Amino acid sequence: MMIKVFVDEEACVGCTLCVDECSTDVFEFDEEKNLPVVKREKECFGCFSCLEICPAEAISHEDAELSDNYYHDDYALDFAGKLTPGTPQQVDVKNESEQKKALGDLGIRLLSIAAVFRHTLGGSMPAVGTMAGRTLANQLPRYHEPESFQEVLEMAVNQFGPSWDLNFSTDGDQLTVTTKTCFIRELCSKENIELGGDLCVLFYNNLAGYLGKMGGIRLKLESMEPGNDQCVYRVKTFQRKKY
Amino acid sequence: MKAKVSTEWLSGCSGCHIAVVDLHEKLLNLVDSIEFVRIPVLMDERGYPKADIGLVEGAVRSDHDREAVLKMRESVDKLVAFGTCASYGGVSGLGWLYKDDAILSKVYGGLPTTTEADRPEGAPVLEHSVIPIDEVVEVDVHLPGCPPHPYYIAQAIKVLLGEKGAVMPAGTVCSQCNRKMEKRVGVTLKKGAVTAPEKDICFLSQGVICLGSVTLERCRAQCTNKGVACAGCTGPSIAVVTEPHLDIRNMVAKRMSLLTDIDETEIRDYIAKEAKTFYSYALSSPIIYKKPAVEIREWVGVK
Repeated sequence: MMIKVFVDEEACVGCTLCVDECSTDVFEFDEEKNLPVVKREKECFGCFSCLEICPAEAISHEDAELSDNYYHDDYALDFAGKLTPGTPQQVDVKNESEQKKALGDLGIRLLSIAAVFRHTLGGSMPAVGTMAGRTLANQLPRYHEPESFQEVLEMAVNQFGPSWDLNFSTDGDQLTVTTKTCFIRELCSKENIELGGDLCVLFYNNLAGYLGKMGGIRLKLESMEPGNDQCVYRVKTFQRKKY
Repeated sequence: MKAKVSTEWLSGCSGCHIAVVDLHEKLLNLVDSIEFVRIPVLMDERGYPKADIGLVEGAVRSDHDREAVLKMRESVDKLVAFGTCASYGGVSGLGWLYKDDAILSKVYGGLPTTTEADRPEGAPVLEHSVIPIDEVVEVDVHLPGCPPHPYYIAQAIKVLLGEKGAVMPAGTVCSQCNRKMEKRVGVTLKKGAVTAPEKDICFLSQGVICLGSVTLERCRAQCTNKGVACAGCTGPSIAVVTEPHLDIRNMVAKRMSLLTDIDETEIRDYIAKEAKTFYSYALSSPIIYKKPAVEIREWVGVK
């Protein structure tokens, strides 16, 4: 279906940035009217770079398909809807089947990335997960720095709990991690992919890297029990030397 | 029958309530269709009478605020986050940068006129930070603004009363601004400036940082049309709210560097350095602090 592009003439401020940004030259600038004109609409492939650069948010698209919409945050979309009641939203991914499709798409990509990592890195693949987790710990927003390992675990539950139904239980230096929901597990059972594969290893190492960095602790995986209802990781923790 | 309106005032400055009174003669038109059952600046009503519309000003900062907003939610049908503090935390959201202990010991110990002994006893317990009200209760409509513009207060009430054709538009401040955005060469970044010599040309084209292009229009662009650059008081635009990769700093820097010959990094560094100014209205909202590109604590040197 052809994408339709509209310019809100009242809102436009005549900056010509959309004419510069568009990689397929959809717009031409009308110097007299001080407005961009949609000249080659059929060239538009819906990259939304004009929408992004427009300072007045004067450009809108119709019939453009948002393929990679899984990065949108439900809270933010809901918030935007409450800011502008009565105005149709440009991005609407509340559609459940669309969301499922997008999640499936993401899952397949993650599984392939994990396979590529294993193929190219071999035994050092888990280290990549750990490094990613440490980077995550540095970058994830938080109200305050945690003061105990217990607080680190609480923060992790707050941060990742909703997506993975994450639970921690500690017994001395033993830590048990359980995850109940996992959209990739559903995908695996549908596509006959064995559980506990490379992606699960990456997932664990990512979490371990995060917890280790946040809590100043070293974690050693003792056993991993993937299952159809829940996955359990049994971990031994070591307090790191103080420098 | 007249719709009943109840209002409440949490951690805010009462400016939003004054904005209601600022409706002037429009208030009289409005009073034809609504009736105030609780409004702290005009009436002495301590309870929480049942109402159709609730306007809540200010953020949740203490357990007193939390209780008040919960009571409001129980007593009204539709709850409006009234003003930037209620929607995003507002200027007092700067408290998000510091721990409560650090703030209290600064106030009761770090100043010439106070001592630790002046710490109040039995005062409401502080929350862990400045919290936008939608983290505590369900909000139906967000009406940001510092304070909300009278036009949009009337508009929001019309939307809530289900009047036909009443909408809250999604444009940015630029969509109402009369200045012409044009490309210039030989412009330098004017640090600290909030105004510019040419009154018909966009601030960005003249080297002055204006947040109009990343700010939701809830103000009829009254500042920029009268000669002052936008400070972003109505909070981020819809694009910044919905798209995780778009942020106030990188969008302003990108547009400004395309319009002028100022280096993009120079603008980015300047905005990061002055983050407390440019992010002051919405930094305690997850909409802003959860963005991967936003590192306000690092930029301003707070651990």
